Amino acid sequence: MSNAPAEEQTTEIDLTAANQVIDKYLTLPGNLMPVLQGIQDEYGYVPKPTIDLVAERLNVYPSQIYGVLTFYAQFHLKPRGRFIIRVCVGTACHVQGAERIVDTFFDKLHIGHAETTPDLRFTFEKVACLGACGMAPLAMVNDDTFGKMTVQKVEEIIADFSQRPMK
Amino acid sequence: MVNLTIDDKKVTAPKNATIFDAAKSAGIKIPILCHDKKLHPFGGCRMCLVEVEQMKGRLIPACTTPVTEGMTVTTTTPEIIKARKMVLELLLLKHPIDCPVCDAAGDCDLQNLTYEYKVNINKFTDEKFHHQIDYENPLIERDMNRCIHCGKCARICDEIVSFGAYTFINRGIEAKMGTEYDGPLNCEFCGSCVSVCPVGALVSRPFKFKARWWSMTKTKTVCSYCGTGCQLTLGVKDNKVLTTIYDENQGFHNGQLCTRGRFAYQFINSDKRLTTPLIRKNGSLVEASWDEALSVVAEHLREAKAADPDSVAGLVTPRLTNEELFLFGKLFRETIGTENIDHSAGYAHNALTSGAMESLGYAASPSTIADIQKADLLLVVKTDAYETHPVLGFEINLGVKRKDIDLRIVSDKRGKLSKLPKAKTYVHKPGNEIVLLNALAKSIIDANLVDASASNLPGFDGYKQSLEQYAPGKVAEACGMGADEITSLATDYAKAGKALILLPLGLGYVAHGKELAQAVINLALLTGKIGKEGCGVLIMGEKNNSQGAVDMGVYPKAKRNDAATILDSCAAGKVKVLYVAGENPVVSYPNRTKVTAAIDKAEFLVVQDLFLTETAEKAHVVLPACSFAEKDGTFTSVGRVVQRVNKAIKPIGLSRTDLEILSSLIGTLGGATYTSASEVFAEIASKVSGYQGFSYEVLGENGQIVPVTTKAKFVQVEAAPLKEEAGKFAMVTGSALYHCGTLSRYGEGPMHVCPEGYVELSRQDAALLKISENDVVNIKSSLGEIKLKVKVDVRMPQGVVFAPYHFADSSVNTLTDGSKVNWVTISK
Ligand code: SF4
Ligand code: SF4
Ligand code: SF4
Ligand code: FES
Ligand code: FES
Repeated sequence: MSNAPAEEQTTEIDLTAANQVIDKYLTLPGNLMPVLQGIQDEYGYVPKPTIDLVAERLNVYPSQIYGVLTFYAQFHLKPRGRFIIRVCVGTACHVQGAERIVDTFFDKLHIGHAETTPDLRFTFEKVACLGACGMAPLAMVNDDTFGKMTVQKVEEIIADFSQRPMK
Repeated sequence: MVNLTIDDKKVTAPKNATIFDAAKSAGIKIPILCHDKKLHPFGGCRMCLVEVEQMKGRLIPACTTPVTEGMTVTTTTPEIIKARKMVLELLLLKHPIDCPVCDAAGDCDLQNLTYEYKVNINKFTDEKFHHQIDYENPLIERDMNRCIHCGKCARICDEIVSFGAYTFINRGIEAKMGTEYDGPLNCEFCGSCVSVCPVGALVSRPFKFKARWWSMTKTKTVCSYCGTGCQLTLGVKDNKVLTTIYDENQGFHNGQLCTRGRFAYQFINSDKRLTTPLIRKNGSLVEASWDEALSVVAEHLREAKAADPDSVAGLVTPRLTNEELFLFGKLFRETIGTENIDHSAGYAHNALTSGAMESLGYAASPSTIADIQKADLLLVVKTDAYETHPVLGFEINLGVKRKDIDLRIVSDKRGKLSKLPKAKTYVHKPGNEIVLLNALAKSIIDANLVDASASNLPGFDGYKQSLEQYAPGKVAEACGMGADEITSLATDYAKAGKALILLPLGLGYVAHGKELAQAVINLALLTGKIGKEGCGVLIMGEKNNSQGAVDMGVYPKAKRNDAATILDSCAAGKVKVLYVAGENPVVSYPNRTKVTAAIDKAEFLVVQDLFLTETAEKAHVVLPACSFAEKDGTFTSVGRVVQRVNKAIKPIGLSRTDLEILSSLIGTLGGATYTSASEVFAEIASKVSGYQGFSYEVLGENGQIVPVTTKAKFVQVEAAPLKEEAGKFAMVTGSALYHCGTLSRYGEGPMHVCPEGYVELSRQDAALLKISENDVVNIKSSLGEIKLKVKVDVRMPQGVVFAPYHFADSSVNTLTDGSKVNWVTISK
């Protein structure tokens, strides 16, 4: 991370949903986590304007909210794709050539680790052992698992999910 | 008390002390890195490890472990030294060894401990951090590669400053001290985090590469900005004040400063300082010798005195020392023979000189700063208390957060204080403070919460009767509040065991100072809250020596001698010689057009100042004066504390202290001269009430409090609800956080952070006017029109706009005439 100001939000964020989440938990002690989770559920990530809103309405420092958001891996600060592609780079998958699978995804999607395609269709992530080493190398798209991955299969997966509806 | 043994020494310590505290009180030094006496214990660095016989088997952190009866502590053993060395070695793994270019070198705890523990080889190796350095702001440089994760910056910014700029962000090896969105620092720039950072991770940019710590001489003195009276240590080299040095043991505030005290000292060595006297010749100001300048001034004073002493008048700033203000009074009253003297436009002090004087029998606050932390409830009138007196704001923060003090605020807008836990802000319609305060009193009477002592005081019956028309039900709407809000606030205040009212003053808050002071004093008297610890009223004078100026009697004894009348008399040609010392009426007095016209009419204008101010530009003679850093003397701050000001550098250029200038004029005109500040102070001690027995020795390091004897009475204060002007905005003026008067315009810090005036308005109004942040708008009142940049903030209520008064360009006094509220229109 750098000291550069956060990326400009290109689209206006509608804060109605965030306000509703805050309303719901307003009087609950220790409400910061549920509020942030609720917001992430609504928006798919935690947009910057919602951090400012939460800070203002719950009277918490924005810096502290940011600290919480960057501490827990569950939170995302940037919009996430409709389809989250996870490729395992654990030991078993690594031995079976996971890096090639990773590189092929990078190549085809023109994004890197933890990045999202501009059309918000795909987010790509390298992950540690997914617990199905027998099927190495392993990939997942949202909840679907794809074992014994090959370069060929990467193309099929991308083709398949590029056709699917965004909603 | 608890008895224990530390390094074979018998030690007694309070129950809640830690081993570290107990050792310190016994003169035993335990090294620390993450501990700070002002902050909650953190226990993160493990530098302070000690051995406790009763807890054998592991080393114990001294900074978090409470003492217990019979404890036996050893602070140095080979094992402890090894453990501490290990802590340092691990820190040095990541910490870059760039001490030769680090501004903290010499003042760095890590460097000093590394030296002390002789850590010269490291068993380990690791890669250094590669964090980007934050150079985005002009005041604080953040190099997180040097950070040792002690957390002090985040804790001080939260616990004391209540800004909360920092937090640990990210996880694991990526973890670092960061800001929101890991962005550049954008905060109040009080510099507290820089003061406590044990290493060079946070450094002052104005001080960068200016000097090594050990090469500076250090002079303790008092801040010359606001009335809080914070003690400062100036770091000096080659006759330049290069920085303010943090000293955690200085003053009631433990070395805490605000952005002005910390980062606004540059006016002292500013290249804009006047270095020679100037005399107007053929229309322009040209350099002159002191002899020439002083003789011209003396000549005019002598002539005018001979013709009519009242054709001379003096306006002086309460930034001068007591000694100088005393001589100013002497020059005019005794040497010239006129009562025409005033300061701060004649109203910034009338809360004291007329308000408190009439109600209590003296022109000062009955309470002191120490009462803030002893109260059960604080009632702050105007949230601006934080902007005008930031370090008193810290005291409020600490009281509310640590001591659980209740905070009530009545104000025309919300502010930073409103965000504190347990703070309740009652936003009322601007200008209706008195109506509201009277309604509170009425409500206290109706609820039978009047203290038994009240009815014995003079004026009680009349006061009680005068409140009839202020029943909460009747005036709530005019105040813009609910009647139930008024009664509940009144009940909270009256029922609080100890309650203190805080009232900030200043050139930005021009109207009804006297009435405000009396209305709050009435409230305190009604509930028996004057003259008791943690109770009363603290009237917060704006400038460093506002209280001193009042004590030295530099205010008019009658309306016909006040600043406004003096200027009117100037305009009418009655006052011919106007002597202005340190004031800048053109910018800071209300109604710029009128003030300028009056000053232009003066036949002879002398301005004695540090800078060629907007007023000095009009002068016939300009006398270059010294800053506080070039002076010995005393200031009297909020809560009547008289403290010593000590000379840190020689006068800049040919400038002279105001004391020297005034003394030589008095001498030339036939009076007795003075050679030193202490000589004048001796006279003050013999003549000024409350100062008897004071001398510089008696004042010592922490000053003395001027004693008062209260002769209280109720004074009826009437006010009708303000008439609103349809279709217009209510403009209120005041102080911006980073500024104080017009002097802070010469301070690098405040000018970088807040370089120009602005007008702040509510989100709703901004939306209605289709205006957004940073747009420039025209603001028009019945007196004039100016352009200002817009700030949009949720703290503003709809229909109310705020503008700070410090700036010369587009100065707000073009629009104001000293009323409670100025009605303006705003257009794009
Ligand atoms: S300068 Fe003051 S407000 Fe800013 S981060 Fe440091 S402590 Fe906080
Ligand atoms: S920046 Fe300084 S004060 Fe803050 S955590 Fe790092 S070392 Fe400590
Ligand atoms: S300006 Fe006031 S609050 Fe700030 S450091 Fe100076 S005396 Fe203290
Ligand atoms: S290493 Fe890939 S699933 Fe276990
Ligand atoms: S000073 Fe005690 S743990 Fe840091």
